[in-house]
Amino acid sequence: MAWTWFHRLASPPHVYRVAGRLTPWLAWPAGALIVAGLIGGLVLAPPDYQQGEGYRILYVHAPSAWMSLMVYTTMAVAAAIGLIWRMKVAHAVAASCAPIGASFTFAALVTGSLWGAPMWGTYWQWDPRLTSELILFFLYLGYMGLRSAFDDVQRADRASAVLAIVGVVNVPIIHYSVIWWNSLHQAPSVMTLGKPTMPLPMLVPLLMMLLGFTLLFGALLLVRLRGEVLSRERTATWIREALQS
Amino acid sequence: MISFLDMGGYAAYVWPAYAVTFAVIALNIVWAVRLLKRSRKEALHRLAIGGSSK
Repeated sequence: MAWTWFHRLASPPHVYRVAGRLTPWLAWPAGALIVAGLIGGLVLAPPDYQQGEGYRILYVHAPSAWMSLMVYTTMAVAAAIGLIWRMKVAHAVAASCAPIGASFTFAALVTGSLWGAPMWGTYWQWDPRLTSELILFFLYLGYMGLRSAFDDVQRADRASAVLAIVGVVNVPIIHYSVIWWNSLHQAPSVMTLGKPTMPLPMLVPLLMMLLGFTLLFGALLLVRLRGEVLSRERTATWIREALQS
Repeated sequence: MISFLDMGGYAAYVWPAYAVTFAVIALNIVWAVRLLKRSRKEALHRLAIGGSSK
């Protein structure tokens, strides 16, 4: 039936097997795209007419910031699916997202700060974009802290899922903060409805980095998910087959 | 090469930004692989205990 794919997605042995098979297909293209984006961004792209070579922080800052939002959204959607359909695998996906998202939010904050210092004259400002991104970092930390406060995985899943879902309101706030409020941070120049406001030799390496980071997230998520799925299964005989083959 | 490393005078900002990001990537890979290895080990351990009691 039409719903069998959904039920198969909910089956731990199936997920463990498919995730294992899929990982290299995401990891290798991710590595290739990031290396290509790195060469494009650091060497081939021309300097910016205002910021000179300093703008090259863009090629690590924007992908990290993109990850911080995309991973959180993935985590919240997975948590919601887990709550609504009581799907263990979905909760395992949400739990796998958090450390990845937290670390890339940290990278976005630090690289942004290193970019702000020479261009804005300050490492930090209590600006809407910066403050809402910092709140995102604390949401990830809160999510992980809340999970580790429970011994019982299922109670941790349910409580942390509520936090993840409530916290998702912060995602559009971060994205639109530069439009809604007067911010030091520039407006988006790629993720806009119209054409990107960037010349192609600058844009192509950035798109490679964005796609590379996204695929890297996929690969990291699949590896973590396999670990999560294994640690949640207590007695299942499929583990014996999966691990001893 | 030296002018590349100098990054037009922004070297003190550009290179630490790249270093932090790639450190985060490397850590994520190490964490994920470790998590999977640990879960495998623990699952095998549980199987060994469950198997001997039967």
